[in-house]
Amino acid sequence: MTKKLYALFALVLVAAFVLSACGAPAAPETIIQTVEVEKIVEVEVTAMPESKPEGGKTLIVWWSHWANEPAKRLVIEQVVKDYEAEHADVDIVLTWWDKNPLRDAIRSTMTAGEGAPDITTFDSDVTEWVEAGWLADLSDAIAWENLAPAAKQDGTYPDLGFPGNYKFNLSATNYMLLYNPDIFAELGIVVPEDYQFTQQEFLDVVKTCKAAGYAGVADAIGNRPYPGTYTVEYSLFTLVGPDDFNAYTLGQKSWDTPEARAALDYSVALRDAGIWPDSFSTMTIDEYHVYFHTQRKSCMLYVPTWYTGRAFKPVAEGGQDPNWHPGMLRNPEMEGCKACNMLKGGFESGYAVLSSTKHPEVAKDILAFFAQPKYGALWTAVTNSPSIILFDPSEDWPSDELLTELGQTPGMWDWYWEEYAKVYSPQDIGVSFTTRCGEFNDAFTSVINEGLPQGLITVDEAVEMLDAALCQ
Amino acid sequence: MSQIAIHQEGQQNLRIQARKGKRKPLGPIILFIAPVMIFYAAFVLYPLIATLYYSVHTVEPVQGKLVTTFVGLENFKSLLSDDIFFLSVKNTLLWAIAGPVVEMLTATTLAFLVYFKTPLHRFYRVAWFTPMLVSGVIVGLVFRWIFNYDWGLLNSTLRAIGLDQFALNWLGRRDTPIWVVIFVHYWATFGYSFILLLAGLTAIPEELLDAAKVDGANTLQAVWRVMLPLLRPTFLTVLILSFMGKMRAFHVVWVLTSGGPMHFSETVATYVQKRAFGWRTLDLGYPSAIAVFWFGVVMIGVALLNRWLRSRMD
Repeated sequence: MTKKLYALFALVLVAAFVLSACGAPAAPETIIQTVEVEKIVEVEVTAMPESKPEGGKTLIVWWSHWANEPAKRLVIEQVVKDYEAEHADVDIVLTWWDKNPLRDAIRSTMTAGEGAPDITTFDSDVTEWVEAGWLADLSDAIAWENLAPAAKQDGTYPDLGFPGNYKFNLSATNYMLLYNPDIFAELGIVVPEDYQFTQQEFLDVVKTCKAAGYAGVADAIGNRPYPGTYTVEYSLFTLVGPDDFNAYTLGQKSWDTPEARAALDYSVALRDAGIWPDSFSTMTIDEYHVYFHTQRKSCMLYVPTWYTGRAFKPVAEGGQDPNWHPGMLRNPEMEGCKACNMLKGGFESGYAVLSSTKHPEVAKDILAFFAQPKYGALWTAVTNSPSIILFDPSEDWPSDELLTELGQTPGMWDWYWEEYAKVYSPQDIGVSFTTRCGEFNDAFTSVINEGLPQGLITVDEAVEMLDAALCQ
Repeated sequence: MSQIAIHQEGQQNLRIQARKGKRKPLGPIILFIAPVMIFYAAFVLYPLIATLYYSVHTVEPVQGKLVTTFVGLENFKSLLSDDIFFLSVKNTLLWAIAGPVVEMLTATTLAFLVYFKTPLHRFYRVAWFTPMLVSGVIVGLVFRWIFNYDWGLLNSTLRAIGLDQFALNWLGRRDTPIWVVIFVHYWATFGYSFILLLAGLTAIPEELLDAAKVDGANTLQAVWRVMLPLLRPTFLTVLILSFMGKMRAFHVVWVLTSGGPMHFSETVATYVQKRAFGWRTLDLGYPSAIAVFWFGVVMIGVALLNRWLRSRMD
């Protein structure tokens, strides 16, 4: 009996070997990863091969988010292609992710001590990676003079004992306020010459929109923890300026002040006037873009400069009609404002080199290679997001041939940049940061993104809850 | 010697021979059991032990390195002053009590409808079990659309029949999100209880029902006095499974509300996830303490439920 069992087991083993030999070769394995965007979609990503030299080449594994933003992928892939062309001894394997699964995977691989990539997407608010010593210092690796000056302020943590530079920024995030010129014309709303309503005028605009059946703005919180914060953030930023604004929103300063209360009260007044859409609780970020530019059910849209990532896709994929041109407005001018004519700015996700890499010099060199003016121009031309990498348009702008090769139509979105330059270029940019401790981050989301806009709490309760969660 | 005695002696002899002549083939047994045991150890036992370990430790970055420090019961003490934790416990308990009760009532009723072959019973059997086959994520997404305030199916229907005042912002209020979550989870999972109860009903011997009829019992009396008492062991199983399912529920809540707004639909499972992966920290100590505490609560709950129901059965 025992012999029969052994024989059976051996037979199963042999069959397994035979069957596996008949299968496909062990070429790049494909796994399915679930990504949350407008709805759950499935994105194919290529499983990471082991990072080891093959045929004398150095293999660099690069994990990047933006799986759902094809324009950004195009630019990164072009950089990789160019780098590999100039460095025949380096192979770069790019893997595309959605942001949250990428963060979880970095956490798992770094904690486990193996499997982490060499380069990864990094947001400066993920301070735990820095504190854990997971990131390599890029201070001496990047030509910082090629980047906008504020870029070096982001991704450095002297207060935490990490004064180096850990993030390579490539894209700015400036906080715009778009409006629908057709609806404004229909309702007789006239945009001021300086593109800036006063506090009271803006409130009246929202009331006018609501009375005509339009939402004030399209923003909703169905799958993001921040669109509901815009009314408070925009007004508070204008009221107190970037330094105090950062102290408030990073949980370093009590919200029980006249300025903070004024911003909260104004947000409540806007809410009561009907600024939010009826589907505020459930509409997702992709849906509210469409709500604004295609369904045209709102007068305005608070949105950072990454509007283009979703809106400038083909119409069939949820993009806007390229022939429809939304207008741009400055933040409403708050009474007693300190930064009355300042644009709130920040940084998109950037890249970092993980300290676990076996090829730190090569990984850093790739990011240094990226920091060339021509790639700043390429980023702006293809993604229509403002680049952090400085460039001279007359010299560095990509050729029409290259843009066409990358599937772009040269000049298609020029109107957008002309409007942007007209409205925002005269403004100074004040940089805001989002590095909050866990308790305050949760309270900020609960109170400012969910509670106040939906009328679930009063301003007094909001102040109490925020102050109770201030970072130590 | 009677035939029975001879037979018993023969059986005894066979057993003795079997014990003497055969040794258990340990090698193959280990070989076949090992894969399952390794899987169990890696994916059940190890995470369980690791969670217990982390619940009495903190993991903090110190000078660029992650340092694990023993803190005794500090993490558990912190639970006592965590308002969000208590809110999530309250929501989960509410769910774990209300959910199984509603589920048992409807699943039992529907199981009887199918058992007694009411018209369209074949369709019902398929229709009521089908939601079980849909992924929790899909269920959450679909119901998020259904409960959309502006254009969701529910509010559109209410408005169409003139009940505008009942068209609420179901997922954006203090009071309704937790009930929406309970309802959606119930819709998605009650088919399992239904199938178990139907299987329990089908297993009742026909002779007992025939005997009841011979004794003059009508259908209602047969159900009340014969079938329901015989279903008690199935009730116990279904109730415990349903209770455990509610105490651990995650997917539907996560997709539908993510525990919001303002934690009003937070459950213990979603709160553990937030504390472990969304709290801007690498410390697994506190979320592990919540998980261990809740594991204890579920175990005690199941034991009490088991004991209470068994005493009722006896």
